[in-house]
Amino acid sequence: MVVEKTQKKSNEPVNSSTALTTTAVGSFGRPDYLTKARSAFAKGEIDRAALDKLEKQATEYWIRTQEKVGLDVLVHGEMERGDMVAYFSGEKGGLPIKGMKLGGLVRSYGNRYYHKPIIHDRLEWPGPMTVDMWKYAQGLTDRPVKGMLTGAYTMVEWSFNEHYPTRRDAVMDMAKVIRREVEELVATGAKYIQIDEPAIHTRPEADFDDAIEAMRVTVEGIDAEFHTHICYGEVEEIWTPMMRLPVKQIHLAFKNTDFAYLDLVREQGYDESKDVGVGVTDAHTRFIETVDEVKDGLRRVLELFPPERVWVLPDCGLKTRTVEESEAKLKVMVDAVRDIKLELEIE
Amino acid sequence: MQTTVVGNYPKIPNRPRPARLRNAINKRDRGDLANEELAAIEDEVTGEVIEEQIAAGVDVVTDGQVRWDDDQTYVARRMAGVEIGGLQRYLDTNTYYRQPEITGAIKFKEPVLAAAWQFAQERSSRPVKAIVPGPYTLAALSADKHYGGREKLALALAEALRGEVDALITAGCKHVQVNDPVIVFNKGDYGTFHKAITKLLDGLSGAETGVYTWFGDCAGILPQMQELPCDVIGLDFAAGPGNWEALESATFEKKLGAGIVDARNTRLETAAEVAESVKRLSDAIAAERLYVNPSCGLEYLPREAAFEKLKVMAEGARRAEGVTA
Repeated sequence: MVVEKTQKKSNEPVNSSTALTTTAVGSFGRPDYLTKARSAFAKGEIDRAALDKLEKQATEYWIRTQEKVGLDVLVHGEMERGDMVAYFSGEKGGLPIKGMKLGGLVRSYGNRYYHKPIIHDRLEWPGPMTVDMWKYAQGLTDRPVKGMLTGAYTMVEWSFNEHYPTRRDAVMDMAKVIRREVEELVATGAKYIQIDEPAIHTRPEADFDDAIEAMRVTVEGIDAEFHTHICYGEVEEIWTPMMRLPVKQIHLAFKNTDFAYLDLVREQGYDESKDVGVGVTDAHTRFIETVDEVKDGLRRVLELFPPERVWVLPDCGLKTRTVEESEAKLKVMVDAVRDIKLELEIE
Repeated sequence: MQTTVVGNYPKIPNRPRPARLRNAINKRDRGDLANEELAAIEDEVTGEVIEEQIAAGVDVVTDGQVRWDDDQTYVARRMAGVEIGGLQRYLDTNTYYRQPEITGAIKFKEPVLAAAWQFAQERSSRPVKAIVPGPYTLAALSADKHYGGREKLALALAEALRGEVDALITAGCKHVQVNDPVIVFNKGDYGTFHKAITKLLDGLSGAETGVYTWFGDCAGILPQMQELPCDVIGLDFAAGPGNWEALESATFEKKLGAGIVDARNTRLETAAEVAESVKRLSDAIAAERLYVNPSCGLEYLPREAAFEKLKVMAEGARRAEGVTA
């Protein structure tokens, strides 16, 4: 892989509709009324239908907000999900994968705890888990809405395994379950499917090949564009092997590392058949970046990638931000892209 | 043969039992609870987790490291030259620690572990083992902005941690354990580890000292570890099955802390499985030189699962000894 080859030749026309596509990573800040409703639902004070109504109200809010801000490819905002693994494993309100359940509280760090899922039996697809919400969100807008799933490796790595003799056995069965959900989303009309693998660099030497194989099992032969989100951890350890993931786009938290990943692109290259998803706003700080700061980051990226291959997004899901912060982070991003497109005379 | 634990114990139970410590910390963070009130809750929870370990049948307990935010910062944050930075993933887990940043010369100020040990021992009918963070692991997981070399930093940390160990022994602590797992991932750096542990523990008397590892095996370094100035070596047989062969192919002269119950998975071993593992160990190690313990700290498990694991472990160990429960 030679970096020069990825640069745009100046005489090639740029297709404005595919240059610097803007999107989001998945989750957004939850409005207060929904946070309260989720807690009331957990205590049995309101029923599923009442919660469902409010989840859809908040989802519509986020679809409209993304349209208003001007994103190209939307996400539904994950108003119905608490945690990206637990939602598929028994979290209240979700349909759990057969063979999974939520376990007791385990400490994540400091005073943060979560219910760690348990794989207690053979994993099987339980029926559509995400299709209704995707259909609802897509029905609200003409812009494409991504289908959002958690990858097999991360699902298993972030769960206890009481059933399968090896992690690999569990990952491969999980891949079949996730694939079944992908098929259902695509049959319903989803064109973009995002499969998040934030745990993929946990044990690169021992089982990275298994993670790649699981992704292949999940997506192979299915007619949709696949993206994956990988965040934090030691991405530099897996840079080259990561390029073997059978997806069209890998998106990464560039902003959080001050675009240090660009050095990896220079040193180790980047698969020419893939697009790059560039996180330009830090999802884990309340501070809102300036438009100039985002533009500066984008210019650095465009030294190495042609605009057609660059997708622009926040570093990560925005669920730890407030509604207002989430929206502000999207807005500086879209404003910066608009300016850069003007500079590059893409319009 | 004795049963013990490797360090931490889950801080909060599950419903219907109340998550008192979690709630108290939240209150303190909101400004609704004074630090002294939080300390009183930590005291109570420490007493609780000691009782649970004893009820499960553990012979040598710890204070559960209830007061520790994580293994890296509880002691280090009190040293000169250390600041506390951002969250980092802890090895191959889905848990996080705040990264110590070494911004100046490391210096021991005053001991924090001795008073906590004394408190715990007063509330325990069994011996309480004190846990000291390992200097090599601390050096490897910190961001060094001052020393410019792992060895220099590890030795400076060892010297500062020695102040903690000396204070523990002066307070009457008879079991001091250094948790230094990262060496299993960096065996090529064994020389630094050996020097740091030597600086930390050499020439001590009056307490049994141990060095524990986890998440991997000590194949290739186990013979050199026999030369460490400590009495007990802790090995993780769950995540490091290579330890079986390493142990069986080497002469093992120290006491062994055998991590044979998997503290990272809720799948519950049976007492028979535990007994079988213990019997296999007894070919290499005489029973009086054997501690049976979980593979690492218990905080990767929910509280109730941790308790069940300890019960099964203690029952399996007794069975292996031929003593009925």
